[in-house]
Amino acid sequence: MLSRTADSLYWVSRYVERAEYLARILDATSRLTNLPSDYGGAGTEWQSAVSTAGCEDEFAAAYGEANERNVCEFLTFHPDNPSSIRNCLAQARSNARAVRTALTSEMWDALNGAWLELQRFEKKRMDREEFARFLDWVKNVSLVFDGSAYRTMLRDDGYWFSRLGVYIERADNTARILDVKYHVLLPANEQVGGSLDYFQWTTVLREVSALTAYHWVYREAVKPILIADLLILNRRMPRSLAACYESISRFLDALGDAYGRQGPAQRHARKTLATLNNTRIESIFQHGLHEFIEDFIIDNSGLSNTIFEQYLQ
Amino acid sequence: MRIRISHTIGYDYAEPARHITQILRLTPRDHDGQHVMSWRIEPSIDGRLRAGQDAHGNIVHSFYADGPISALAIRVEGLVETIDLAGAVRGGPERVPCEVYRRDTLLTAPDDALRAFAEEAAAGAGTPLSRMHALMAATAGRMSCRDASGRSGVGAAAAFAAGEAIAQDIAHVFMACARHLGQPARYVSGYVAPSGGLAAGGGAHAWAEVHLDGYGWIGFDSANGLCPVDTHVRVAAGLDYADAAPIRGARQGGGSEHLSVLVAAREAGGRQPAQ
Repeated sequence: MLSRTADSLYWVSRYVERAEYLARILDATSRLTNLPSDYGGAGTEWQSAVSTAGCEDEFAAAYGEANERNVCEFLTFHPDNPSSIRNCLAQARSNARAVRTALTSEMWDALNGAWLELQRFEKKRMDREEFARFLDWVKNVSLVFDGSAYRTMLRDDGYWFSRLGVYIERADNTARILDVKYHVLLPANEQVGGSLDYFQWTTVLREVSALTAYHWVYREAVKPILIADLLILNRRMPRSLAACYESISRFLDALGDAYGRQGPAQRHARKTLATLNNTRIESIFQHGLHEFIEDFIIDNSGLSNTIFEQYLQ
Repeated sequence: MRIRISHTIGYDYAEPARHITQILRLTPRDHDGQHVMSWRIEPSIDGRLRAGQDAHGNIVHSFYADGPISALAIRVEGLVETIDLAGAVRGGPERVPCEVYRRDTLLTAPDDALRAFAEEAAAGAGTPLSRMHALMAATAGRMSCRDASGRSGVGAAAAFAAGEAIAQDIAHVFMACARHLGQPARYVSGYVAPSGGLAAGGGAHAWAEVHLDGYGWIGFDSANGLCPVDTHVRVAAGLDYADAAPIRGARQGGGSEHLSVLVAAREAGGRQPAQ
């Protein structure tokens, strides 16, 4: 396979995954801001949504204040934000068009249809209800694309590259959510277990659709250390860092087998997987959750660069 | 190196057993020098197989089956990719402080002969690392390694007196001496793929690891007289054989038992690990 084709397949999946992630953040943030102000929210929910999306600098350049209207506009349709939902879907589609023949028709239909429908959403003036429908639609696009890749793609290098894109992006997203909310997860002096904490913690879980999974796994009240455990180390949780790296390592192994040679990307992924499998959440909290997550984000984008150097250029 | 392991442990009972419990430390974990690509444990009879961890971070499976059982075979199949790190073990599950591994156990208690041997072996060397290398060379020179089939361990002191032992007791001798010299040391059970430089190899094996300041845990395989390289697959670690044994069990009924072990570790070949 040409590395150009592999590169496009990798980025199609990454951009679709990122669009879904942005929709999740916006959805969870508007839930949080809908709480009565009696609960004593700090009022910085929208700013934290921008940080979670990882585009603080671009946002500061485009707008002054982080309020609902600005943030929603910036993360959905703003042309200057390279990772707005609109631009993610545009990038996904243009990458897909470049490798049209490497995709199945179902995958292409999902992306192309999404792009056409997006134009209709963009022209509309959306109220809250309509906006919520839009976010659901974005999540649905990702589900349809992901599902058609899973159901229709031949299991060869093209599929593995596209999966690598999904899981690298997903690991990055989960880590970013934890990074922005890590202060929420740390034991605070005042009123731990108060109603605000509870809502913030459940927001973290909602952002990754893990609230039900949490209760299913731990069968107790929402606790910060267990949330971190679920999202970092629990391999049963499909968005956890450990689960993402299990998949990354598996697909890199498959590539290594198919091409008959392995390299730095395989070694890097295995090393990170071993670390995640051998660590316990207590020792992560002991050494600092924030430091762990920061290191992870750097390590993860390091792996992305290694994959690029080894396969995609 | 890519190593394929297939290990079958079979029990035949003179009369059917009513109930069997087995504790299996037969599953390796990843660390910087090894990556488990696939691993499977298959008991030959129906029962409950539950995974857990012990205090050292080893993966432990408990197997329970109700009888009547006249024969049981536990089959392990796996594929592991290893990298040569010159014996260093990093990125593994370190659950307890390394000082814990200075504790003597029944199997590693030194006698006067062992203490004298340890001090003499390490006398010429300066740094802790070179002392351990000298000790490994002396142990390898003193002890000759016997095939493990049909034999069981006797402990460090008895093995040292005999001058020949199976791999697990050579590891005990080395650990007893290392602990006497003040280094934390632990027992490691695993597999080795056959290779030109190895005296003992091609199956289940045992060696020791020593904790050295500035280096972390380093493996010493005194049965072969070298530090574990990419031919070694590390499965479980503990204070001694009894603590890290691949399989331990208890049963009700069954009379006398006949044990058979079939193990093969070989290079899977074909793929080069380096690009």
